[in-house]
Amino acid sequence: MEGLLQLLFNGLSVGAVYSLFALGYTLVFSVLGVINFAHGAIFTMGAYFTYLLIGGAVGANGLLAGLQFPFALPFWLALPLAGIAAATVALVVERIAFRPLRDRGSDPLLALITSLGAGVILVNLIQLLVGAESYSIPVGTLGSLPAALSIAGAKVRTVQVMLLAISGLLLAALSIWINGSRSGKALQAVSEDPVTAQLLGINSARVIQIAFGISGFLAGMAGGLVGLSISIAGPYFGIGYGLKGLGVLVLGGLGSVPGAVLGGLIIGLAEACVPADLSGYKDAVSFGFLFLVLLIRPQGLLGRPQANKV
Amino acid sequence: MDAGLLEQMLLGALLGLSVYLPLRCGQLSLATPGFFAIGGTVAALLSTRVPALAGSGSTYPITSVLLEMALAALLTGVLALGLGRVVLRLRGIYLAIATIALVEILRVVTLNLEFTGGALGIFGIPQPFNSAAGYAAFTLALLALICWLCDRLEKTRPGRAMAAIRDDELAAASQGINTADTKLLAFVLSALVAGITGVVAAHFLNSWNAKLGNFDASITTLAFVVFGGSRTWLGPVFGGLLLTALPELLRPVGDLRLIVFGAVILVGPLFFPQGVITPELFKWFKPRIGGITTAAAQGVKQ
Repeated sequence: MEGLLQLLFNGLSVGAVYSLFALGYTLVFSVLGVINFAHGAIFTMGAYFTYLLIGGAVGANGLLAGLQFPFALPFWLALPLAGIAAATVALVVERIAFRPLRDRGSDPLLALITSLGAGVILVNLIQLLVGAESYSIPVGTLGSLPAALSIAGAKVRTVQVMLLAISGLLLAALSIWINGSRSGKALQAVSEDPVTAQLLGINSARVIQIAFGISGFLAGMAGGLVGLSISIAGPYFGIGYGLKGLGVLVLGGLGSVPGAVLGGLIIGLAEACVPADLSGYKDAVSFGFLFLVLLIRPQGLLGRPQANKV
Repeated sequence: MDAGLLEQMLLGALLGLSVYLPLRCGQLSLATPGFFAIGGTVAALLSTRVPALAGSGSTYPITSVLLEMALAALLTGVLALGLGRVVLRLRGIYLAIATIALVEILRVVTLNLEFTGGALGIFGIPQPFNSAAGYAAFTLALLALICWLCDRLEKTRPGRAMAAIRDDELAAASQGINTADTKLLAFVLSALVAGITGVVAAHFLNSWNAKLGNFDASITTLAFVVFGGSRTWLGPVFGGLLLTALPELLRPVGDLRLIVFGAVILVGPLFFPQGVITPELFKWFKPRIGGITTAAAQGVKQ
């Protein structure tokens, strides 16, 4: 029983991060119909921002060697600030990699390449500035909180509980925003039909910016949380999550917010269920799932089927 | 120029052609590195485990390399035939993601299997050529052959059917084109090119591991085609040659080279949405290059 509970916790806390990640993809996909390949790099930036804001020092290998902010913020404050910084980066990516293509009326698929270019720039910029070594957020960051909790006999790391709680909070806030606010409804309208939305007086360009901003904020927070719970393995560590996020995205259904959440949790749980002696194959689980779902239900679990338009 | 770099550029051009084939048919498949990895693994396994192939000379016989190519082509072709039937029912971004999934599954499996050498891979792949120049000459011949075949394809019925599907799949189907078979043909040809390229790359690199067929490779090869242009075979060849050479040519700028590389793929599509090389470019050049005869021929046509 304890083992099962432990498994559930491990799976859900990893799955929650995947959900946050995939939600960022989904927000952009729903308004633009393309995937932002720089999303993984934005997630990585969020992790580094968090590390710096809590007072971490840069190692010896980058241009910024030895840099350390004169202040050390508590984690609860550093994390959202890192999210805001990541959102700013996402807005810059939108400005340089997405908007010029839209202004010229180019094929939307080209954004795959331009956003990839932006991602390559970001990742290598990180490497140039802070070096390729891994950073870990120190254990004492959470203040007086214990390192692990005991819930119904199962030992659970405090970080995992936090991960789950913060992700849950963000997901709830996001769905309230989408369904309850004016700008959230504008987002839904643009994802339905950008031209009609524009005719009805919705500022599509603004809505797209909002989608990128929120997507970057979620990615940055997810990056900080993963940095805290595992470590920051180097400038490239977002790429693996980026790929998993794609799997989650399609499993749930492209452009579907509840789908992204469900997909993330399913894949997190499925990975947690892979026995230890087969752990090498863990990374194949999400893609195996994805492949099967695409073949049986191409629109994903909660997505709408594609229409065959003339 | 350094022959080693030239060889890498030629391999890049071949991989560009492999991505171009389905894309010219309107299918965004990112499976190329997967088939490339299969080709490389086949070559690595056969040349290091089968003594009969090694021959008696000091260098590894070319005939054995050709045999490996044939086997790699057979394996990737059969695999693509089976997988293509299934994945090509998907469209657009869904197809792209499904093929990314395929590549990742293949990579993870290669990484964990015993006989493919796990994470370390396979070392000491025998050398059929003593110098990089030998490889470059061999690969250049291979590239020329495949370019010629692509050129033939573009001018014949199946190739035109592919272009028609790219423009409008429903309209093509209504004109009697068997869209499923045509798309499958493009997918299988793409796999064959990637598999054969993998064989050459494995010998050239001397060792082979799972990392060579990863997601990064999917995206860089796609960048070759989008940058160079996907409407004629010259586009991916140009993109493959240039973008493979670029990080090396930028070596003088040191740490900034990958940042500049990123900037090139970021800016390229803005200025060349159709890729740098388009069929219109030839129309514009032809009267000048071909002289009076082509200009006159065009005049007659008009």
